[in-house]
Amino acid sequence: ASFAQKITISRKNTALQPVFNEIAKQSGYDFFYDAHTLKDAKRISIDVRGVSINEALEICMEGQALSYTIENKVVVVRKREIPAKSLAALTIRGTVADESGQPLIGASVVVKNTKNAVVTNAKGDFELKNVAEDATLIVSYTGYLSQEVPLNNKNNIRVILKEDNQALNEVVVTALGIKREEKALGYAITKVKGEDLMDAVSNNWTDALSGKIAGLNMIKSGGGPAGSNKIILRGESSLSGDNSALVVIDGVIVSSKITEGNGAYLGSESPVDFGNGISDLNPEDIDNITVLKGPGASALYGYRGANGAIIITTKSGKPMQKGLGISFNSNATLATINRWPDYQYEYGQGAAGQDTWYSYLATEDGASTRSTGSAWGVKFDGQEYYQYDPATNTRGTERTPWIPYKNNRKDFFETAATFTNSLSISGGNAKTNARLNFTNLKNTWIVPNTGYDRNTIALSVSQKVSDKLTIASKLNFNNKYSKNLPSTGYNNQTIMYSMISLVPNADINWYKNYWVPGSEGITQISPFSSNVDNPYLQAYEMLNGSRRNQLVGNVTATYDFTKELSLMIRSSMDWSGEARSQQRPKDTERFKDGMYRTQDIFQQEVNSDFLLTYKPEINKSFDANFSFGGSAMKNNYKMVEMRADRLRYPQIFTFANSKDLVIPISRRSDYAVNSLYGLAQFGYKDKLYLDFTLRNDWSSLLATSNSIENVSFMYPSVNLSAVLSEVFTLPSQVSFLKLRASFAEVGGSGVTPYLTGYDYNPTEFPSGAANPVAIANGNLKPERSRTLETGIDARFFKSRLGIDFSFYHSNVRDQILRTPIDRASGWSSIILNSGLVRNQGVEAQINGVPVKTKSFTWNVFGTFAANRNTVVSLADSINTYIMQSGPRGTMEARVGKRMGDLYGLGYQRSPDGQIVYNSQGYPVLTQETMYLGRATPDFTASFGSDFRYRQFRAKFLIDGQYGAVAYSHSHVALAIAGKLKKTLPGRYNGIIGNGVQQNADGSYRPNDVIATNISAYYNEHFKGDNVEANVFSTDYIKLREARVDYVLPAKMLKRLGLQTAMIGVYGRDLFMISGWPAFDPEFGTLGSSDIQRGFEIGQFPSTRSFGLNLSFSF
Amino acid sequence: CTKEFKEINTSKNGVKNTTPETLLTSALHDVITRNLNRAMRLTNELMQVHVTTSDADEIHRYVIRPLESDYMWNNWYLQLTNFKDMYKGASVIKSNNYMGIALIMDVWVSSLITDTYGDVPYSQANQGKEQGILQPKFDSQQSIYASLFSKLEEANTRLKAATEIPDAEKGLEPLYNGDMVKWRKFGNSLYLRLLMRVSGRTELNAAAKITEIVDTRKADYPIFTSNDDSAILRFQSTPPLVSEFYNYRDLDFNSGSGLGEFFINNLNNWEDPRLEKWATKFENSYQGIKSGYPVGQVPAVKSRYSISLKNEPLLGNIMNYAELQFILAEASVRGLVSGTAQTYYENGVKAAITMWGYTVPSDYLTATTAKWDPTNNAYQMTEKIMLQKYYALFFTDFQQWFEYRRTGFPILPKGEGLQNGGQMPSRLKYPVNVQSLNSANYKEAVANMGGDDLNVKVWWNK
Repeated sequence: ASFAQKITISRKNTALQPVFNEIAKQSGYDFFYDAHTLKDAKRISIDVRGVSINEALEICMEGQALSYTIENKVVVVRKREIPAKSLAALTIRGTVADESGQPLIGASVVVKNTKNAVVTNAKGDFELKNVAEDATLIVSYTGYLSQEVPLNNKNNIRVILKEDNQALNEVVVTALGIKREEKALGYAITKVKGEDLMDAVSNNWTDALSGKIAGLNMIKSGGGPAGSNKIILRGESSLSGDNSALVVIDGVIVSSKITEGNGAYLGSESPVDFGNGISDLNPEDIDNITVLKGPGASALYGYRGANGAIIITTKSGKPMQKGLGISFNSNATLATINRWPDYQYEYGQGAAGQDTWYSYLATEDGASTRSTGSAWGVKFDGQEYYQYDPATNTRGTERTPWIPYKNNRKDFFETAATFTNSLSISGGNAKTNARLNFTNLKNTWIVPNTGYDRNTIALSVSQKVSDKLTIASKLNFNNKYSKNLPSTGYNNQTIMYSMISLVPNADINWYKNYWVPGSEGITQISPFSSNVDNPYLQAYEMLNGSRRNQLVGNVTATYDFTKELSLMIRSSMDWSGEARSQQRPKDTERFKDGMYRTQDIFQQEVNSDFLLTYKPEINKSFDANFSFGGSAMKNNYKMVEMRADRLRYPQIFTFANSKDLVIPISRRSDYAVNSLYGLAQFGYKDKLYLDFTLRNDWSSLLATSNSIENVSFMYPSVNLSAVLSEVFTLPSQVSFLKLRASFAEVGGSGVTPYLTGYDYNPTEFPSGAANPVAIANGNLKPERSRTLETGIDARFFKSRLGIDFSFYHSNVRDQILRTPIDRASGWSSIILNSGLVRNQGVEAQINGVPVKTKSFTWNVFGTFAANRNTVVSLADSINTYIMQSGPRGTMEARVGKRMGDLYGLGYQRSPDGQIVYNSQGYPVLTQETMYLGRATPDFTASFGSDFRYRQFRAKFLIDGQYGAVAYSHSHVALAIAGKLKKTLPGRYNGIIGNGVQQNADGSYRPNDVIATNISAYYNEHFKGDNVEANVFSTDYIKLREARVDYVLPAKMLKRLGLQTAMIGVYGRDLFMISGWPAFDPEFGTLGSSDIQRGFEIGQFPSTRSFGLNLSFSF
Repeated sequence: CTKEFKEINTSKNGVKNTTPETLLTSALHDVITRNLNRAMRLTNELMQVHVTTSDADEIHRYVIRPLESDYMWNNWYLQLTNFKDMYKGASVIKSNNYMGIALIMDVWVSSLITDTYGDVPYSQANQGKEQGILQPKFDSQQSIYASLFSKLEEANTRLKAATEIPDAEKGLEPLYNGDMVKWRKFGNSLYLRLLMRVSGRTELNAAAKITEIVDTRKADYPIFTSNDDSAILRFQSTPPLVSEFYNYRDLDFNSGSGLGEFFINNLNNWEDPRLEKWATKFENSYQGIKSGYPVGQVPAVKSRYSISLKNEPLLGNIMNYAELQFILAEASVRGLVSGTAQTYYENGVKAAITMWGYTVPSDYLTATTAKWDPTNNAYQMTEKIMLQKYYALFFTDFQQWFEYRRTGFPILPKGEGLQNGGQMPSRLKYPVNVQSLNSANYKEAVANMGGDDLNVKVWWNK
């Protein structure tokens, strides 16, 4: 309460009481004291002008046997506990050093219960005057454990401070929100501080997890401003594709359901990334994150924790906090495209053979060459042709120069901008604390007329109602609105389809007026191929809107029966309501008559749980902790869609304007899981820790309409941690050594309801019904995953170097799968418990502090993770499981191989591996598919560093992956249309492909046949069917984050009346090293309700972003 | 607390039980639209109706990659489940109507499957749910046909005893709007198509059966008597009963290919009025391009499919009256039926043209190459019949290709880019995934068939 209430008072030799009354009057503070307290007080004289209440009180108390405290504008005056004795006042001299004897400069030395304090000088020495002979000194230094030193009449002392191996005793949040000392854990966890997420913010805060957690893999949709990510910990194990880590915000499991979508490749609809409940969380509200990587850690989350969990704790008000507790944070981020395909701008529009003339519509120069999307045409050589005239929207009357528009693709895109402003108020006292945050985000994205606005309100309140009862609540409410989010994929409703189709001799400005004058809303301008929608029409008229409200919150009551026994009861909810709409004007390729559709989505999960904790006091060397809990969860999802796929009048987007009957589609999905669980923890002398957990779930997903026989399943886990550095005497270089081991089993029932009952599906026909394509399984059993994990946590050189290493081995069996069967059986699949998938891997994380002085600190940080996956078995009848199909080629799980292997047709090759060409000089394709690489990386690694010099801080993070490949459809489409530089050789003299010809006798000779048709030559090489030629390595190294901060020094803060203030500049994804032929090797493709690896289908450009961050509090 | 689970895990999106009439329309529509998709992709390429102008698609060169086999196998069998379920449901409520309809649909789809692949799962097929047969054994084509014929016999008997369908249900039967007499005619006409298909084999006495149906017991086997009887699922102008191509973009429908020279030239020779509905003009006339062109010599498109074909009701053809007349004409040439071949042929030609809403030009049958010549030998007569039949089968699943395999007609020109030794594929390979999903039975079937190759002849073609 350094609140500047100015006090002006002048009295001589007066009693305290009237002075207090006057101060109370001026400050508005109340005084609270027992009349007896002031009885023995000395009279005082005071003469102050415009001082703080503290200063005034200080004068009043001088030499008095009284003390005071201020709490909530109440000044409490008490008798001093230890009455001031008139003891001898000494002058104390001393030195403060660390354990190695190095003097600590600037350490603070305070006489306990007084204001008498000094800091050590450059030699680590200090001198304190006027110290009572029985006083106690408190010596503290940042990064070291504070120490209390009783003087015991000595007047020369040497204090050795122990380094604060903070991490060793760091308390972390584990499953179910249970707080533990990190050293007691038998499994690997990674903790991320909220501020580390803010270093280089992006629209989806989960981007900030990249490179910070060993074993975390992110599949990014890159599908627009909302940019959903799929987070995978320790590799994929579920054949059905549900591998996402569980995300828990303040105990609320948040839906990661992405979107109801379609295929990205020439689907009848194009998927749109509307974001999800996770990406919409406001990172400003995150206090810290604990990543529980394996089921050992997350077993208590049960059936959904098998893929690991990300536990998010949002910020709360702090009790007894200094200052007003108002803080303000502002970010401005600009993003530009960081990488482009290698476009050629040497040859213009033209189909095969149209390489000697150009003519917009038929002229005396030749037949029209305007309608092709290919660039096999004439070289730009200073000549003139009849071309498109934007003024008349048809052929120009005169020949104009034949020139390329080298920036036509670049000029379409804009600089993305995101502005985030966040204001929070927090405060608290011993009983209550509260925090309220409001954040506004405004985004415009690289595609014109796309972006979104988001407002978030977060409230956290905690009240100690009595000594025993605490009630707390956290609520996160957010509202997101977008007028337009871009359609993704390769299809004529997508921007990237138009960009790929753009020819080198087209000026993007010709597209800007997208309606034919006089036919607005009826006929679009598309100067070249009439099959491709005008990109500006797509951006400004083919809209995908969304309005979404989400509430994630909980209310918790904790009751401490005794010191040993407490009970927590909590109710939490994740609710969202979203209204989406799509509209297409008339004359768009897919919807010639226009279209209007809406989807209303309701999604809710309510969970009520309790946890009873018993912590008996046994003895000093042995402690135990028992918890017993239970939860009841219900999940409901409902989607109602209305479709008007042809409109009567142009530009009116209502259902009243439908040409046909409006088609309604509705889908529901409900499930419930009840659980009971127990946890027993034992610790021995801070050396050995042993935990057991046991959980039983009752899941409705395994019930049938007449049986609940299979709904119950139980699974255990056991974790062991041994702090060897406490057990044995280790060399002094080893500051800490811990071994850990854990075994965990998790049972699961998936999240897809109705697999146990056979139901006829409705059809689009009235009174229509059809058999489902899958055979239901009334005897479905839970799936099981078993994981064994061991690890070591070692720290050396006074914890200046830390290494954490884990090894894990997991088997996932009895997966609930739609197992494909021969369609001749009458169905395409049967729901079965099948398959055994094994994952083995290592993870390592290194932290180091190479330099640490008072003014300069250098930290380094690195991660490494490798996962090996084996499909041990599948259902009896199959030896391969097609996980997904690309435009061409498939991603499969074959028995004995790894999940995520890509197969497709490739080049026919001679025995020595050379490409075989046919008699016309074109490459020959195989008839059978072959293995072409793996979509999952062999390893991922990251390296980061962080420098602090006085008020400055600089930071960077690099990460990368190695060993994976993916198919690029952007490459297919650009290469076969002659738009990449690699298609230049051979124009127009023909080319001899690098490879061999087969002789009549079966032997081979070097290829000697000139392929004369260049378009056919490159088409045969790069057509989609040739999956091999379009599969590229997705290895990359990225400069992921960089940031420089300046923290205002204390002096300046004081002058400005601030508590803290910081200004920072940052960048994300600044540089990339990669051989990927399109934009970004790090991608996912939005499919139906999933983000998939392996097949890039018309990806959007990726961006490099720069930002400025201001934050201050007062 | 688990009491509610039974209710919670009961789907709110479907229905537990249903009655037979509800299963018909969507299954029938599904098969028709799938057939159209494949007619476009495979039949019309192989049979030179159109020629793709993507060098990568080589079906017109007789290159059919293994993946092409999946689509029909995957979809036909799924719909057979619905038709068989319909029969089962109908037998429970003792409905001769729907048992008859279900049988005809079953036979139609089953015949498509066996004619496409040869020996296929049949007696154990579609029993994954009730019998738990996930790996059904393959049956010989001969035994399949024997069973199809007995099913058609049963359908004929049941439909003879058919009752009037209540008005309220008529709308659920899209083919004949509940006219059971027409269904019966359809069943027997289909019977003739299949009998003719296996008439080269003696094992099933197909020839005699044809005589019986057409002449000796014709009162017991009513067949199509006019275009009105044709089995055509007529598409409507708005969903859901629309063509496969309804939602195609125009470019997907007709920009990647041009109509074939063979297809266009015959029609030009006859000045066939159907050209107007089928093709666009190129430089003021109808012009086709060469099929089977070599790699790298992609011809420029000339005439294309008319965009109006995208939702043309007549493309919902299962079997039309004209086809039946050509079957009878061929039977007459072979002396199996008593009527004259010329009458049947000319009926067929007229029906095929009038079906499309045109009158037959006066000189069509008198002064063009379509004119019947009684002095021709049987080979020439058959060629003439089959050429007209080729056009009557426009966009009808795989029928043009099946008939070409059986008769070698019409005589298609051979492009210089043809692969596969210039030999028209005789079947599709089994789908790749059958090799893994039904491995043992697959191997046995391949051994019985004499290989799993495009050029292996099916039983009726041997």
